[in-house]
Amino acid sequence: MGLFINIIIIAAIIGLAGYQIYRAVKRSKQGECAACDYDCEAKKLLNKSKKRAL
Amino acid sequence: MNHFMIKQFNGLDDATTQRLHSLGLQVGSDVTAVRFYPFHGPVIIQVDQQKIGIRYRVFKQLTGGDLS
Amino acid sequence: MTTVALLGNPNTGKTTLFNELTDKYAYVGNWTGVTVEKKVGQIRHSNTEVIDLPGVYSLSPITKDESVVTNYLLRDSPDLILNVTNASQLKRNLLLSVEVLELGVPVIITLNMIDDLKRSGHYYDLKTLSTELGCPVRTSNARNKEGLPQLKADLVQNQADIQPNSPLQLNYPIMVSQAIRQAAKALTTDYQIDAKFAHWLAIQYINDNKVVRKYAVKNHLKPLLSQQAYYDAQKFADQIFETRLSFIETTLANATEQLHSTKHVAMTSKIDKVVTNPILGLPIFVGIFFLMFKFSFDWVGTPLSHQLDKLLSGPISTWANQFLTQVGALPMLRSLIVNGLIAGVGGVLTFIPQIFALFACISILEDSGYMARAALVTDRIMEMIGLNGKAFIPLIIGFGCNVTGIMAARTIEQPKERLITTLITPFMSCSARLPIYSLFVAALFPRHQAVIVLSLYFLGIVVALLMAKFYHVIFRAKENSVFIVELPQYHIPKLSIVWHGTWDKGKGFIKKAGTIIFAGTVLIWLLSNFNAHGYVTQIDHSFAASLGQILLPIFRPIGITTWQPISALLTGVLAKEVISSSMMVLFHTANQGALIGMIGGSFTALSAYALLVFVLLYIPCFATIGTIKSETGSAKWAAYSVVSSLVISYGLAFLIFQIGSLFT
Repeated sequence: MGLFINIIIIAAIIGLAGYQIYRAVKRSKQGECAACDYDCEAKKLLNKSKKRAL
Repeated sequence: MNHFMIKQFNGLDDATTQRLHSLGLQVGSDVTAVRFYPFHGPVIIQVDQQKIGIRYRVFKQLTGGDLS
Repeated sequence: MTTVALLGNPNTGKTTLFNELTDKYAYVGNWTGVTVEKKVGQIRHSNTEVIDLPGVYSLSPITKDESVVTNYLLRDSPDLILNVTNASQLKRNLLLSVEVLELGVPVIITLNMIDDLKRSGHYYDLKTLSTELGCPVRTSNARNKEGLPQLKADLVQNQADIQPNSPLQLNYPIMVSQAIRQAAKALTTDYQIDAKFAHWLAIQYINDNKVVRKYAVKNHLKPLLSQQAYYDAQKFADQIFETRLSFIETTLANATEQLHSTKHVAMTSKIDKVVTNPILGLPIFVGIFFLMFKFSFDWVGTPLSHQLDKLLSGPISTWANQFLTQVGALPMLRSLIVNGLIAGVGGVLTFIPQIFALFACISILEDSGYMARAALVTDRIMEMIGLNGKAFIPLIIGFGCNVTGIMAARTIEQPKERLITTLITPFMSCSARLPIYSLFVAALFPRHQAVIVLSLYFLGIVVALLMAKFYHVIFRAKENSVFIVELPQYHIPKLSIVWHGTWDKGKGFIKKAGTIIFAGTVLIWLLSNFNAHGYVTQIDHSFAASLGQILLPIFRPIGITTWQPISALLTGVLAKEVISSSMMVLFHTANQGALIGMIGGSFTALSAYALLVFVLLYIPCFATIGTIKSETGSAKWAAYSVVSSLVISYGLAFLIFQIGSLFT
């Protein structure tokens, strides 16, 4: 049981890291705001309007 | 002295002329040269309370005088 | 929903006003061109949406960021335009106002920075201005929140309550007004364009507005296109400008009042005497940077950072280790958390004091108005290279983050100069490279931390400038570049603005710790704890070690003798901070002190410096590569940037190490 939990936690951490790298690569392809880590007001609204459009 | 009058805009490219116009400069405007940089570096001019940095070559064209 | 657009000349305080009105903090600086994209915010407890547009001198755009405004007016129609003007430079600010008023959309003009005007001993009669211009005129001072409640009340109106404005009608010379009337009429009857808009379109077209001319071509507006040659031959554009200017001069002459108390704006002139001194200007520029690094490293940053490190490597690591052992975590999980995440991510976080201190310094410079002077002082050098003094501003912003630097390059007029600036911005030492500098200078140059870091920053600038010269020759960019820079009044930096500027820039760093730095750390932990056969206890048998060993012969000529830094450099492409966290993981140390010892053991001063130069210049991070691609619109330039920076960084590090070795 303990082993199982250990493996799950390790897998979760590695999975999250993998997801972050995947996201970074994808974001850098989009360019402009997407590549910037700063979540400014304009960006939030841009994202909101994109969601609304869908 | 350091007071100059703008004589002409001839010989400047469109973008420069347009930008200078937008800053309120026209033929006949009074300009004070606040500072010259050595080696024909930029010139700080003062027009209507505002200071603007321009290149020496542009300054020379504007004032039409021989400053070298 | 009511839409209000903020529009005005650069550096009139639009963004400060935007922040005050919407209770949001967008990025503010005291120099021209801070806003390069439009921003949207909402006034609290209201139905009013505010749009902050980049500052423009006129609706005829010269730069990419300026065309944002004209395109906005062509495409959308706001319910109300708030024209923000700099009260003490009203003459040229009104040139833009006239163009906006001709559009016929409801406009409110606010004379912002009204305190600067009062200090100069003038005042304007608002009623006279209001009747002459045909729109409400208010006063405000966004920095001190003066006049804001009134403005807010004006903006929070229902759409129906907004007073319509009739377009401003100037007495253009007879030939011009006839041309405008004819064109507008044809547009209205043949193309069903709204009469007011057609009138404005005609004026803008005749006035040689490049965006409007493109718009006319795209929409096949024949009445305008057919007359273009005639308009230009008659120099109608010049006549329009003269009419507008004389209208403004008359209006202002009627409205000017003299105040009795005349306190001159002496502060700005006094500071300028020193700061823009022809001889002292450059040394002062360097000195300001030296002080910045002294402050960030020697005085404030490093001592605080040491305290954080003590906490992290002592109590936190020990406690985490004990806790994990107690709950029965496997050694592998313990290693991942303690040696990986706490040492790596936590280790990078201990550099927060240095980074925030540096950001605070940059924010103070931005808010004070020094940046425009820096552009001026450096213009002569930039001109020799064929660049514009203005290119210096994106470069300085690049010190914070290369991505924002590249975005700021939009304020540069010539496309070729803009491309060159975009390509050289990655050589600017961004804040993400600070942790690795900090680590190495603490290990090998404890007494000269600020000087070494300063030298790296300037090396970055020198390389950038040399490359710029090179590109300039290759691209055969034209020599005559527009260099007209406004020197704003100095402001005493305001704590809230400086704090928000620092926080805005620093927040990204903290966020990155949770995303890409975390990911890079896990990646390097995996690489350093596994090989093809599975989990290894000896790091020397791991993937990271074998990868590093393979590449070691390539890096030996630049002074690297162990494999660890090489693996760290590889993961550093994700984000430059990851280099530091990788080093911590690879050297298996939980605290900076021990790592500094290890680095001191495996590097000499010379090889460390060569490595730092390599780190400074090698491949830009993912985000930067992506931005280069989107701003230049081609993947080729992004790929080129990667290859060229790799070649340059290797070459320079090689030269430094080899030449340096001759003397030691």
